Amino acid sequence: MNWLTRVAGALLRCSAGLLPPDRRGWMRALRAEADEVPAGWRRLAWLLGGLRLTVWEATRRRGLGYPLLFAGVAAGTAWSAWSGPPGDSAVAINRSDVVTIAALLAVLPWAIRRVRGPVAGSRPARLLRAGGYAALLALVLVKAAVERVAQAPPNNFEGPVRAWTGEVVFLGMMVGYAALILVCTARRSPAAPGTVAIGATAGAALGIVAYVLGPLGFPLRFTGGWPAGVYDAAMVLGALLALSVPALAGLAATRWVDRSRPAVSRMRQGALAGLWTGAAAALVVAVLSTATIALLPYETGLRQWASSHIGQWTPAVSQWTPIYGPRSYLGYVAGNSAFAAGYLLVLLLGPLFGAALSVWSGWVAGHVGLSGIRPRMLKRVQG
Amino acid sequence: MAHRPEFSAQTLAVLAELCATPSQWRHGYGIARDTGLKSGTLYPVLIRLADRGLVEARWEDEQPAGRPRRHLYRLTAEGLAAAEGALARAPSSARAPATVRGGQNGRRVAARVTP
Repeated sequence: MNWLTRVAGALLRCSAGLLPPDRRGWMRALRAEADEVPAGWRRLAWLLGGLRLTVWEATRRRGLGYPLLFAGVAAGTAWSAWSGPPGDSAVAINRSDVVTIAALLAVLPWAIRRVRGPVAGSRPARLLRAGGYAALLALVLVKAAVERVAQAPPNNFEGPVRAWTGEVVFLGMMVGYAALILVCTARRSPAAPGTVAIGATAGAALGIVAYVLGPLGFPLRFTGGWPAGVYDAAMVLGALLALSVPALAGLAATRWVDRSRPAVSRMRQGALAGLWTGAAAALVVAVLSTATIALLPYETGLRQWASSHIGQWTPAVSQWTPIYGPRSYLGYVAGNSAFAAGYLLVLLLGPLFGAALSVWSGWVAGHVGLSGIRPRMLKRVQG
Repeated sequence: MAHRPEFSAQTLAVLAELCATPSQWRHGYGIARDTGLKSGTLYPVLIRLADRGLVEARWEDEQPAGRPRRHLYRLTAEGLAAAEGALARAPSSARAPATVRGGQNGRRVAARVTP
């Protein structure tokens, strides 16, 4: 008991440095009182209460809550992605993936802070930053789970050069997404809070719809009769939605977000809203779909959809079509070529499409007077 | 929607304890002992009350023999008024902790807060 009390006392003394200066006196007071408390469990409980207070005050006042949460989640992700036979190149890639991405995600906020300031004070900005980081870590986790499946190309078939090249592209993409999240939720963000809110909400909704309707998403598969007709119609509707949502989000941001801004700035807000819509949709659909594949690597319907919808658009998959055998579809369906590569494309093109569509819609709407920008102002922008 | 009480039950217990002898400086362990509150509950309450200017704190002037100097607390004039008002308005259940948790001063607290 005595040694436990001594350890708790030492911890309390050492952890005082975590507290803001105006709180250290309180902790000194608590420590001074500890001598009055009868020795044994009561004194230990007194000191542990002080430790609890230190952690609470440090996280609340010094903003350590999110970093601690991130460290915990990143450690959990690393632990989960770490498993697998040591000789497997996919496992080596997963390990380097999770370590590099965790390090990048930890360092980037400090780098962005120097340029754009700390996270904005609003709750939505903090939630968006935390949610975005959670989505990125979830993507790493589900990608590792998919790649851990034996015989999944390219990690186990295509050789290390190609696999590592794909990895570098993936890392670049993750840095891009993390930077977008951090910059747009910072205090000196180029995007207005409303712009980010519109883009993120529209994008998340679009991503969920795309996941539900998409060939690799929720297993909504109808093979005949009127349900198949309804589903096909919903697919067409989903495609139209995918095109119109970023455009509408961009238009909404141009028209309603901070009307006091000049025309150029409002057009920029529209483009940023579209960028956010595309990025959020791509991230949501990539995480959910890859998670579905990771959970159902042997699911027959999924294989059929994958081969008929994704296979034809993914060159790497066609290279592996001849691999047949008891686990051939596993390689085909769950492999990096079919999914990580496919969703890498989605992650790359989603934001670009979103921004392009919103700029286009803003431009068209400006000419017909829908964007809320007067034609005279629009001419000035064009000039 | 239910009206959110001004002070928590624990804060009311501390206020009641300090209110019982408003001119006297009290130390943390004494308050904890009499209210039955743990250090991890008592000190956040004291910190918030001090931040709001309802409690004033100081260190003991002289170094006593055989023990460290204590941090002492008492209600400010504003704190005394706020405490009396809050205790008068508080339902009896909100003032229960001090008594229920077996603080040595529980009976006195209960008596003090009863209008």
